Amino acid sequence: MLRYVLRRILAMIPTLLVISVLVFVIIQLPPGDYLESHIAELQSQGEAVDEQKIQFLREQYGLDKPLAEQYWYWLIGMLQGDFGYSFEYDLPVTEVVGDRLFLTVIIATATILFTWMIAFPIGIYSATHQYSWGDYGLSTLGFLGLATPNFLLALVMLYLANVYFGTSIGGLMDPEYIGEPWSMDKLVSILEHLWIPVIVIGTSGTAGMIRRLRANLLDELQKQYVTTGRAKGLPPGKLLRKYPLRIALNFFVADVGSLLPTVISGAEIVAVVMSLPTTGPLLLSALQSQDMYLAGSFLMFLALLTVFGVLISDIALAFLDPRIRLGGTANK
Amino acid sequence: MTPVIARFLLLLMLFGSSAVQAMEWLKETPNLLAKVQAGELPPVAQRVPADVQVVQFSPDQSPGEQGGQLRLLMGKQKDIRQMVIYGYARLVGYTEELKLKADLLKSIDVVDGRVFTLHLRKGHKWSDGHPFTSEDFRYYWEDIANNPELSKSGPPRALVIDGQLPKVEFPDAHTVRYSWPVPNPYFLTALAGASPLYIYKPGHYLRQFHARYQSEDVLEKMVKDEGKRNWMGVHVNRDRPYKATNPELPTLQPWKNATKPPAERFIFERNPFYHRVDQNGRQLPYIDSVAIGIASSGLVPAKTGAGESDLQARYLRMDNFTFLKTTAKRNNFDVRLWQTAKGAHLALYPNLNTNDDVYRELLRDVRFRRALSLAIHRYEINQVVYFRLVQESNNTVLAESPLYRPEYQNDWVQFDVELANRLLDELGLSERDDRGVRLLADGRPLEIVVQTAGESTEQTDVLELVHDSWLQAGIKLYSIPSTREVFRNRIFSGDAIMSIWSGLENGIPTAENSPLALAPTSKYQYQWPQWGAYYESGGTSGEEPELPAARELLALSNQWSQATTHEERVQIWHKMLDINRDRMFTIGIVNRVPHPVVVNNSLHNVPTTGFYDIAPGAYFGIYKPDTFWFDEERR
Repeated sequence: MLRYVLRRILAMIPTLLVISVLVFVIIQLPPGDYLESHIAELQSQGEAVDEQKIQFLREQYGLDKPLAEQYWYWLIGMLQGDFGYSFEYDLPVTEVVGDRLFLTVIIATATILFTWMIAFPIGIYSATHQYSWGDYGLSTLGFLGLATPNFLLALVMLYLANVYFGTSIGGLMDPEYIGEPWSMDKLVSILEHLWIPVIVIGTSGTAGMIRRLRANLLDELQKQYVTTGRAKGLPPGKLLRKYPLRIALNFFVADVGSLLPTVISGAEIVAVVMSLPTTGPLLLSALQSQDMYLAGSFLMFLALLTVFGVLISDIALAFLDPRIRLGGTANK
Repeated sequence: MTPVIARFLLLLMLFGSSAVQAMEWLKETPNLLAKVQAGELPPVAQRVPADVQVVQFSPDQSPGEQGGQLRLLMGKQKDIRQMVIYGYARLVGYTEELKLKADLLKSIDVVDGRVFTLHLRKGHKWSDGHPFTSEDFRYYWEDIANNPELSKSGPPRALVIDGQLPKVEFPDAHTVRYSWPVPNPYFLTALAGASPLYIYKPGHYLRQFHARYQSEDVLEKMVKDEGKRNWMGVHVNRDRPYKATNPELPTLQPWKNATKPPAERFIFERNPFYHRVDQNGRQLPYIDSVAIGIASSGLVPAKTGAGESDLQARYLRMDNFTFLKTTAKRNNFDVRLWQTAKGAHLALYPNLNTNDDVYRELLRDVRFRRALSLAIHRYEINQVVYFRLVQESNNTVLAESPLYRPEYQNDWVQFDVELANRLLDELGLSERDDRGVRLLADGRPLEIVVQTAGESTEQTDVLELVHDSWLQAGIKLYSIPSTREVFRNRIFSGDAIMSIWSGLENGIPTAENSPLALAPTSKYQYQWPQWGAYYESGGTSGEEPELPAARELLALSNQWSQATTHEERVQIWHKMLDINRDRMFTIGIVNRVPHPVVVNNSLHNVPTTGFYDIAPGAYFGIYKPDTFWFDEERR
């Protein structure tokens, strides 16, 4: 087991290196650089562009250096915990991301809890009462949730909340609390705003999870050991919890791997539509304006979380389910 | 730092006392009263300059009372620079009538258009209370513009005429003189710009980041702490008056930024040392603070409709008008329609530098460009896309400009397919294929691909209508959306045959405004990017203009910069406008597009109509937002 974990961790190093090269190259692929998109923006607004200043900034930002050298600086910096400099904000990347990370985690946690709380009971009910009215009704609801475009739902709910509850549109709190220290009122204001993004982001996830849980559980419920258990007179609740449900949860543990990066990246589109102060819109705008270190470090961070998440879920799976073998060699 | 200021304030109180009596009519600002009583701020009479500027109100405006917070919405953090534009305190600035007038300066003397003597207001102070004197101009000229490390290629272009630098003198603390051997017509307009040329910098604050005044060790530590490459990076980062990102940077604007980025909400507070007062002795700005909420730009109309902004025009579009109108009553605001001052809201740019030999030949023939214009059904576009609210026009000056003549607007603008067809036949394009599309000399069909920057569906909607009417003249149109950078690169490289973009930036110029935009002088002029690049680079890149008319425009714009009288300039302007009218280098479609402006009902002095454009109006700037005031319920 220990050797397995060690080998996996060592394998992460080349993986991350390859990802870093890919990330850097992809960010550089669109024509021009940050300063060129900056000039284009100024021009389109009719503002004066000072070519001398642009030249000065190009040197300051190191954009006049060859690509390989820029990459090298970035890589070495990251190894030392320096994620580079955001041109757009004129600040180190860590400062730009700062606060947003916290709010992103709050939303993500709330969304995940919401998803589980809704999806679990419904998934179990649908599986145990297959083809009943309840199953059909809930499945229809689930499909609706899966099919509704998130951004549309977001806009409709924003409008309704504004008209009927007087909630301010977009954002995570009323404007007067932004940038203020934490207080009870601020928390209440956040709770007032939080439910909309949670429901909007949560609906599609919930629907997906219901389907997967139902399918996995149905597979198990048909198996002979369940029939045997039932024949032996185990109470239905205990029978369900003790064996089939636990086995059906494998997919759930495997999901943890992809869960970590989603927690940090936030649901980008919904966040942009709802103007949430999370990391999603930041990443998107960084990519658009070719703010390469901000975008690059962000993507690297997500990659790191994905790689770690997968590792954790693999280890957890191995612990949970003895049938899972660590590497193909164990077969011999 | 602080003891220096304190000592200085003391000094000021000693010899400022005689002025105090003369300025008894000034009233203390309510929200600064506590600070004044606590001794943190000097009283108002010592805060404003001795020769304070008393604001004149236009007949439909009235003096008001101080107080309240103005809420604005912006789409990006970088947009807080709009506050520097709206604030519009400039050395010289445009009035509502678009005349240049001394503003931060007490007065300015101009001799022969080449010697500029700037007179500062006595007792004028930066927002931190330090005096604003000719030393600040010296700091800029000697320590920034002529510092070989901070400005590698020397002072900015508006200060260099025919390669000649000005002689800059500082006779006393309140006088600065710039003199060139030849006239410099760009100087004043550059100072008055929405994004102005700053020829003064708060030296007392900035010198702590400058290698000439600060020890190397301290600078080295700053460079390291801030992750910069050298001290220039540190200095430039602090010295961004236009971006307004540094709350510590002293300013002369009505409001100063009090929030350090990054943030989702920025507060701009009143500058207690601002140089304007009203006739009742109240120091401006009336409004205590401005709160800027940052929201995604797509959500701004919705938030505005929900009453979350008191004064909003940015990120609103004409198609939000009906939505805003319906919510106006519920949320207590008024929707006004202002005008845009661009020469054309949309214009087609035939690329005279395109790589395609056949098309280049064709596009350079004036008959072809005229035929293209005649075959556009502008009336239909106006009806279908713009609710008949806009003007069908060439890309030229608007009726409000003293340089306007009806023929500039109307020649070749009428919809006349017959004439267009005749012109095209004359060009030898009489062969057609089975779709009715004309054939080029080399047998290809006449299919024009119009590049768009892909930013709005409005452009594609208009192009769709142009497509239909062009087809009647046997021209097929395709439009290709891309992104802004790709769009521009395709035009520069000559891959693009034609593009669509907005027209002249300033549609209401006077003869004193530079006519450079009418001549091939910039690579961002999409009708002749290579010729523009040639001018910009001084002949090292791009191509020399080949058409005689383009060369003449260039010669005229040179004449303009050397002209000494108003009449001469007017004449040159008219010559240039007439060449553009006759030659149709750009094909304007419509102009005078209304722009919705949302104004809270409690906010006063915002004009009911106006021009909403960065040049020359600085958006709200020339309407003096420092004179906007809230009525009682919002104070």
